[in-house]
Amino acid sequence: MTGMPPSPESAFGEASPVEGDVICALPISDALEVPETVGFCDGIQRFTVEGWIGVCPVVRASVSAAVLVRQERSLHPVASESHEFLVAPLDALDPAAVETLRSTGFPLYDVGASDRRHPTVDVRRAVQLVRQRRLACEVEVALRFRDRFPDAWLVVDGGLRGYEQLRGQSRLLGVIKSHETQYLAGRDLEVALTLPAGHRTSVFERRAAAETAVHSWYVRLWEWEGRELLYGLLRLERPAGKDVVREAGAVSQWIFAERVPLSGDNRRWDRFLYPVYQVESYLRARAGGWS
Amino acid sequence: MIRQADTPVIGRVVATEQLPASPHQFFFWSATESEVGIGAIVRVDGTGDRTVFGVVIDAKAYSDLAEPMHDVIAAHGDPAATNGMTQRREIRLWTAAVLRQMPEEPLQPVPLSVVTLATPDDVKFALRMESYTDGDSPTGVPIGVYVSGGLRAPVYVDADFLLGPESAHLNITGVSGLATKTSAVEFALRCLFDHFPTAKGRVAALCFNVKGADLCFLDQAAALGPSDLEMYELLDVKPQSFDTVRYFAPFKSDGVNLNTLRSHQDLVSQVEPLVWGLREVLDYHEVLLNRDDLDAKAAAFIDFLRDRVVEKDFRDDWGGQHRITTFAELDRLFKAIFDGLEAQGRSDSWRTHHIATIRKVRNRLINISLRCKGLVTDDGVSNDLPFGEFVDRGVYVIDVAGMDQLAQDLVFTRVVSQLRERLERRDLGVEHIVVFVDELNKYAPSDGPETYVRKMLLDIAERGRYLGLVLFSAQQFRSQVHRRIVGNAGTSAFGRMDMDELSTPGYQVLSPATKIKLATLPKGEIMIRHPHFTQPVFLRFPRPPVLTGPEGLAKFPPAAEVSLEDAVVQQLRALDPAIERHAVQDAVVGRTEEVVRRALLATRRSAPTNVLRYFKAALGARVQREVIDDSQSSVAPLQSVQDPYAP
Repeated sequence: MTGMPPSPESAFGEASPVEGDVICALPISDALEVPETVGFCDGIQRFTVEGWIGVCPVVRASVSAAVLVRQERSLHPVASESHEFLVAPLDALDPAAVETLRSTGFPLYDVGASDRRHPTVDVRRAVQLVRQRRLACEVEVALRFRDRFPDAWLVVDGGLRGYEQLRGQSRLLGVIKSHETQYLAGRDLEVALTLPAGHRTSVFERRAAAETAVHSWYVRLWEWEGRELLYGLLRLERPAGKDVVREAGAVSQWIFAERVPLSGDNRRWDRFLYPVYQVESYLRARAGGWS
Repeated sequence: MIRQADTPVIGRVVATEQLPASPHQFFFWSATESEVGIGAIVRVDGTGDRTVFGVVIDAKAYSDLAEPMHDVIAAHGDPAATNGMTQRREIRLWTAAVLRQMPEEPLQPVPLSVVTLATPDDVKFALRMESYTDGDSPTGVPIGVYVSGGLRAPVYVDADFLLGPESAHLNITGVSGLATKTSAVEFALRCLFDHFPTAKGRVAALCFNVKGADLCFLDQAAALGPSDLEMYELLDVKPQSFDTVRYFAPFKSDGVNLNTLRSHQDLVSQVEPLVWGLREVLDYHEVLLNRDDLDAKAAAFIDFLRDRVVEKDFRDDWGGQHRITTFAELDRLFKAIFDGLEAQGRSDSWRTHHIATIRKVRNRLINISLRCKGLVTDDGVSNDLPFGEFVDRGVYVIDVAGMDQLAQDLVFTRVVSQLRERLERRDLGVEHIVVFVDELNKYAPSDGPETYVRKMLLDIAERGRYLGLVLFSAQQFRSQVHRRIVGNAGTSAFGRMDMDELSTPGYQVLSPATKIKLATLPKGEIMIRHPHFTQPVFLRFPRPPVLTGPEGLAKFPPAAEVSLEDAVVQQLRALDPAIERHAVQDAVVGRTEEVVRRALLATRRSAPTNVLRYFKAALGARVQREVIDDSQSSVAPLQSVQDPYAP
């Protein structure tokens, strides 16, 4: 298994089959139809505890996001956004300290009020805020892409949580490779996680109270036997819609074809789509050194 | 040095700890599709007033593929498999060597800035050409056209560094048959003649044609294509053959046919025979006689002959009076000495020289005219180059292609010595003379026995520039030419090269990419090094304005060898087309070949107004045949005597 095990609170979700009554493995045999224009969206975040005011951490963070569009096999940036800011527990700081932080010129965000101070928890809250800012950044560039290419597919790295503003767009595809949250259980889960290469699961709807409906299914890019269980396994998400089931085979075939070229020296190359990897490389190159 | 706003940016300088920018080298990347290439001159403008010019010497391309195995995995082991829907990111990373920094002080690393292709003005500054092409007395001589992308810029060398006195000489290396060496020299001479500053004096060229018909048609214009003419126009060079060309060739052993491939009847009349007599040979006897031949005693006797006998009124010890100007007359002196000594009895020396030494010298000297037959005449009139009367922008070609090694040694040695002596005395006719010698691998190898040709070439290379004696030379393998000859060449050009040659130590300063470019250079392209250029530069040059050897031979096929009588008619008609064959036949009938040859040479040399009359006079008075009356021809019978044995 890669990465740290998820916390039990975020490890499970609810789902119900949409394509058939149970989750089953289906070979990807549809004819390959690659969209002519596709946008790939991703974001990066960096943060560091820049210092302490008393027991309060001051976190300096940078988030950025971009969309690269692929046309005729070449990727070109069409939208990018980056922000640098400070995060601190403002209610615990005296006005002079807050003013000092504001005088740095960076936007200043609050980790939120708390009766008691806990330095580690404050840092964790700051990181959570950084993630939110990154997601907001990604949504911002995704919207800009949508303005320029209203009919093109947009592939985002990760799930569609946070993309409510684009839910009306059917050509939105989330690619999840971490599998921290499992929506299936029992036999359905076993079918999904033991998919042979070149297969997909039937489509199911994952449920989340605060979100509109999202349809999802698994695709295996590479043979996993002899390796770890999640090797080459992706979960795809699309806003729920009447065409999702009908197009699941074609979309799976397209994403299956995206497994080449491999994603450079990234250790998750078995699941990391090359264009998404390129977005990340682009952002890291633009971000430069952290000074 | 303001960068033109419309000059497109083609790259950006990058520097990392592993690949830092330095004062002498920098790296930049460009778009995958770009006009930059090996040999391109580029410009980098820093944030201040610093501008750096560089020449691209190496290049790399790579993608973000972490390791080759990833490609195998992606393709499932099938090389023909699709490359995927997304093209991998690639980089074109170029290495450039700094040509010039402006300002030159303080010398600093190249700024990390954008890169543009050099404009024609940039090329001028990058190669420091403004120092000798601008101003009141420019000394620039065009040498070729720098071409990169759509840009064409003329490139000049400095006459002061090509013909001296600062540095001098031009050496060209390249494999045979790719129109590089000879063509480049012919074009360089054309450029030199058109652009050499008049204030620097007069200049001429003396070319040794060492193989085939390479230099036999310098007066014949070639058909030039539009692209060639464009280059001539850009360089402001006349696309014309040379105005003044004189050809010299020795005779073949028959003494009448010239030993040259320029023997077509339309051209042969413009070839002058190169014939040397006793005086010309005696001054350079050491070339023809090896150490075994020429011990101290023999050398002393030859010196005696040269100083006291030849071309002087000399009286031998037995009453004979001699004035020796030919080998035949010298031989008569030897006979007189031997006869005199024999008459004296047991005497074995003459004027302190032992008779054995005299016999040895006689054998060696008399033999020279046999060994160098065609070049050295036994008793004829010599016909030499017009030393003292060389004309400005004149080309003099000596065809030594058909000579044997010994004769070539003599020609090289004597001609170069004469040039040097005349230049020292300032009475050659010109102040600068360019000597072109091809095939230095043969004439000046780095190893092998010491020859007089090599000595002469070394002499020009090392001391010529002070005199105005300049060597333009060429060879296939620079590494196998004497180091002091190629090392003294201020300007060096390289055409297409052999990879084996490029792997020799002399080319270690070149990058692998530059070597590859050299190994694949097309016709008409050279890499040039010049004292003003801090890095070698690739240039194109048009085809020369004269016929190449093969073209000339196709247009003017060599004539078949002719008889003595036909040769006389042809050569006299060249002087006077009205001469009739029967008149010549009548004149030569009954004459010995030697007499006819001598008269012909004298006539050609004098080029008189009345050719036939002069020729007849040169033949000398005919000795009338004595007619004997038959009645008196019989021997009177002996008077009858008593013969006891008669039947």
